[in-house]
Amino acid sequence: MERNIENLKKTADQLRLDVVKMVHDAGDGHPGPAMSALDIITSLFFHELNVDAKNPKWEDRDRFILSKGHACPGLYAALARKGYFSVNEFAGLRTLGSILQGHPTMQKTPGIDMTSGSLGNGLPIGTGMAIAAKYNKKNYYTYVILGDGEIQEGIVWEAAMCAKRYRLDNLIAFIDHNGWQSGGSVEEVSGLLPIKEKWEAFGWYVQEIDGHDYHQILDAIDHAKKQKGKPSMIVARTIKGKGIDYMENDNSWHKRVPDDAQLARAIELLGGEA
Amino acid sequence: MSQYKGTREAFARALIEMSETDNRLMFVSPDSLKAMRATEFAEKFPERYIEVGIAEQNALDVAAGLASSGLIPFVGTYGGFITMRACEQMRTFVAYTHMNVKMIAINGGLLGGEREGVTHQFFEDLGIVRSIPGITVITPADESQVYGAVKACVDIEGPVYIRCASGREPVVYDRNVPFEFGKIRILKEYGHDAAIFASGFIMDRAIAAAEKLNNEGIKVTLADVSTLKPIDVEGITKILEKCRAAVTVEDHSIIGGLGSALAETASENCPVHLARVGLKDVFPQSGKPNALLDYYGIGIIDIIDAVKKVVNKKQS
Repeated sequence: MERNIENLKKTADQLRLDVVKMVHDAGDGHPGPAMSALDIITSLFFHELNVDAKNPKWEDRDRFILSKGHACPGLYAALARKGYFSVNEFAGLRTLGSILQGHPTMQKTPGIDMTSGSLGNGLPIGTGMAIAAKYNKKNYYTYVILGDGEIQEGIVWEAAMCAKRYRLDNLIAFIDHNGWQSGGSVEEVSGLLPIKEKWEAFGWYVQEIDGHDYHQILDAIDHAKKQKGKPSMIVARTIKGKGIDYMENDNSWHKRVPDDAQLARAIELLGGEA
Repeated sequence: MSQYKGTREAFARALIEMSETDNRLMFVSPDSLKAMRATEFAEKFPERYIEVGIAEQNALDVAAGLASSGLIPFVGTYGGFITMRACEQMRTFVAYTHMNVKMIAINGGLLGGEREGVTHQFFEDLGIVRSIPGITVITPADESQVYGAVKACVDIEGPVYIRCASGREPVVYDRNVPFEFGKIRILKEYGHDAAIFASGFIMDRAIAAAEKLNNEGIKVTLADVSTLKPIDVEGITKILEKCRAAVTVEDHSIIGGLGSALAETASENCPVHLARVGLKDVFPQSGKPNALLDYYGIGIIDIIDAVKKVVNKKQS
């Protein structure tokens, strides 16, 4: 498929603005983690994924799981701009009766393939989806985005072994490696590094990229799809809060609400209307 | 007639028979293939045997992924590993998502875990699953009822938990008696001095107690509560209205399982004097199955004493 990187960048600006506005208006949410994953989400939904917003349950569609579910304002923005539901739904984020729950919920929101938010579970569930694809002789791919802090959960490594055993070359995962988790830097909290070698030791095909560079993201997906008999992990170096100057690498934006002036600044940075 | 001996064998037989004609059925094994007596399934349907290794949380999540793709996975292993090790996966990714995952839980109770000790004796599982919205909970009384329950669970939309044991469970039902979902079954109706509600693999003890009481002139009604959730409120209330005194019997803690479910049902519909026979909020130990049940107060004599206690209270 031809790449229109300029369009992807424009879309990402719109989604980032949606996220800031959504969290500002709702008075609750996780903007920083949404921003670091946002260029990967944009690449998937506006270039890579074989999906149909008018038929969200289409059985041959590519599957997507946002395992770091707290980044969901970015996913909600992408789904709405893709046409799964109206942008008017943004105003309801985290409020009674809304289709936009605090974390992604498949029964409530069109386009969500799997509920998430409890860290560690996206990869094992994606493993089940990928096994099902092979059993059902379907050629869709299953994509999962994990946080770097998230891979401290033991169940992630249970799935790592299982996906390797089943040679799931139809499973492509990203680690949004922004270096931060709720309590501080991932290395200080948990001694997590190095990441790449861990996944290689578990038998995965591993690539390291800049998670905000669209060519690198799309190249990595292409390379992953060419692998036979191995699941793929793309370790994407990212910046928490990317694109909003006052959020970048400031972990206080893990969960924090922008005020009116900060919303105005985001509009100024990203252009366009919120 | 199908050939099996024991609740695990009954599960495997039912699964194999259904799988001949339904290619949606899968078996997800956290290294439990042998324990679940499902080796023949794996040989017959290698593509439908999903081995995830000793990783129960992974098993429940992989099953959720399979179910989200239209398949019907059975996860079979020790009940405590499903309900405790993988509790959150069961709750958030199977129950909240309403996935069509069937959980077959072996080693239920002291009888199931017996000589293995507390690590393999599971007497809290029913309390845990019962508290999670959307999980159907079935506690069959013997192997043929397990066979019927496994066959029935495919027609129940959404998650189902079926409690099995490990080969020490006595046969109490004629093979021709079908499993009936959602209804209690009256096994003895000597009279209405008291009701005994029993569930699971101690049914032989409840039957023996009812017979002995009858010989002593105390006439009870004995019902098998094989669907714990949703519980048969109407059937239970009818019996309570006649008997006005009740005893529950289960191989589970008296907290959370049948004892609690019956107390809830009775207090909201027909309050009666109630006594609960089961494990009394203690950790047990290793031992031979029948000796264990007797030692921990789930003996025939304990059921008889409990009935006499509630009958006396009713009369005083």
